Amino acid sequence: MPEAGDDPRLEALVDFVVRLAAGDLGARLEPRGDADSIEAVVVGLNMLAEELEVLYAGLEQHVAERTVQLEHAQAELQRQALQDPLTGLPNRTLFGDRITHALACAERGARPPVVLMLDLDGFKLINDRLGHAGGDMVLVEVGRRLLAVARKTDTVARFGGDEFAVLITDATPADGLRIAERALAELRLPQSVGHHVISPGASIGVCIGSPGQTADSLLQDADTAMYLGKAAGRNRIQVFQPAMRAAALARVRIADELETALVTDQLTVFYQPFVELSTGRVVGAEALVRWQHPERGLVLPGEFIRIAEETGVIVQVGRVVAAEAIRQLADWQAERVLPEAFRLHVNASPVEFRGSGFVSYIQDTLRRCRVPASRLAMEITETGLMGDEAEIRETLQELRSLGIGLALDDFGTGYSSISYLRQLPVDAIKIDQSLVRGIDTDVQQRNLVAAIVQLVDAVGLQPIAEGVETAAQAAQLRSLACAQGQGYHFSPPLPADEMGTFLRAQLAQSDRQRADTIFK
Amino acid sequence: MTAGDGGQMTVVLDADGIARLWWAPGVKITGDLAREAVAALVGVCNGERKPMLVDMQGTGTLTRDARVVFAQPSSASRIALLGKSAVDRVIANFALGVSPVPVPTRFFTSEVAAVAWLREGDHARGG
Repeated sequence: MPEAGDDPRLEALVDFVVRLAAGDLGARLEPRGDADSIEAVVVGLNMLAEELEVLYAGLEQHVAERTVQLEHAQAELQRQALQDPLTGLPNRTLFGDRITHALACAERGARPPVVLMLDLDGFKLINDRLGHAGGDMVLVEVGRRLLAVARKTDTVARFGGDEFAVLITDATPADGLRIAERALAELRLPQSVGHHVISPGASIGVCIGSPGQTADSLLQDADTAMYLGKAAGRNRIQVFQPAMRAAALARVRIADELETALVTDQLTVFYQPFVELSTGRVVGAEALVRWQHPERGLVLPGEFIRIAEETGVIVQVGRVVAAEAIRQLADWQAERVLPEAFRLHVNASPVEFRGSGFVSYIQDTLRRCRVPASRLAMEITETGLMGDEAEIRETLQELRSLGIGLALDDFGTGYSSISYLRQLPVDAIKIDQSLVRGIDTDVQQRNLVAAIVQLVDAVGLQPIAEGVETAAQAAQLRSLACAQGQGYHFSPPLPADEMGTFLRAQLAQSDRQRADTIFK
Repeated sequence: MTAGDGGQMTVVLDADGIARLWWAPGVKITGDLAREAVAALVGVCNGERKPMLVDMQGTGTLTRDARVVFAQPSSASRIALLGKSAVDRVIANFALGVSPVPVPTRFFTSEVAAVAWLREGDHARGG
């Protein structure tokens, strides 16, 4: 056997190892069939190379499979991050990216994009009627209809809830408006969900992009327009105007300040009496919220109630007012200045009626203040009752079963029929001041109010005329046999102490009249 | 009883109940050849599990496929690998180390020691 160092196989073995080291795992060195150590090394290296080759191939296959899996997972995550899971439409993030891209294209010569923000009108009502599954079906259909009216190059997105948006790229303002109008028309078409047929209206805000805008500002402006459109009346398209920004900011400020007002007792209650028209005696009063703003002075409810309703703060506002009114009622009751049939009316929003715990809160407050329920009446507006929500009707029934009076406020501003009134569990109708205003000068108006008073009487309800400002109006109402009136002619809304004085004066006058009758 | 594939291997069950497998010198044991050997062993053992002596003296090489075949359960209750040269030792240890064999398996350079170890195991099993 030759010395290992002289063996020519060693040279071949070194070459073999070099090839393996260079990564050529397919290299093999053919054994000669010897049984010595060099042959053992050759056989062993061949086997190791084969082993490594198989392991590497397995590893590479595994890495390839895992890479595909990771790519799929990443694509899925990206899809989830950018897509609304219910409708499969792009979400707010992806929509924002698309606006940014459209704005960049506009800087390179394309026409600026138009953004539509769309919010369904009364979607809560739809959800209440159809349940959430039914509501979801409506949302999916809305997405489908919006896709049908948009162009292929446009993006339809859902931001959550009943909020949708459409990005119309490289568009003229007329293109944007045309698509908005088609969207509105398409959404109004009846849609079947189970046994229900609904026509979801929408409010659409339109913002036409301009140089220098960002995706956020474009969206914000479209949102502002949509919001103001909704506030001005539903089912309409509102194009954004720069002046709207100030209005939107003011709204945000009022919403914020109102939260502060609630915890710092800035809300106060005024009382406006109403009288029996035939005798002039006080028979009740309406509790009216006022906001004693630290900088702006006394703020009237017209400036903040709608915002409170939209932000949900109305629930706290309503409770503060109701609690204060009932507490005041208890004071006057203890002072024995309340006329026998006196009822204090407190306004309630449908938002409060829908929330839980409203009736028990009123009941607890009455019990704690030892005020009989018959001294209290709740007023709800005619428009607030529209929609025929079961939840609101149930609340009305519960209040009525407690002995609390119910009055329909602002009658004549909505579209209620007399037959509809008969179905409501109310006992008084407040005729809106817009009907009362011309009663002393306009014969037709007088005839209209006469008819309303007769009808309200005929269905067994108590008519109360609002906004009586002159003696002539009071005289006309009296001649029409309208039972009660409220307005500046009798008294403006008064702070609690002045209302107390008013009640005491009324009491003294009644006492004098009684004494006069006795000693006559 | 004997079995084989016509020259590359010989399989017998000896009078002591040990299955013996001889590979022809210089043979390259591939996966197919390994499967034939296993089938032949099953045949000579009549489906019973027997100790097995594999004489691998002079075998040329053992492919990975063949090692995978030997790593699967077979008719063997324990396996003694018998070899003499450095090449035998390398091949045997690849068979033992790279793919774990499911029954006790050892490499011997002495047939006497190998048979003794197989019998020892066979007795322990009650054979």
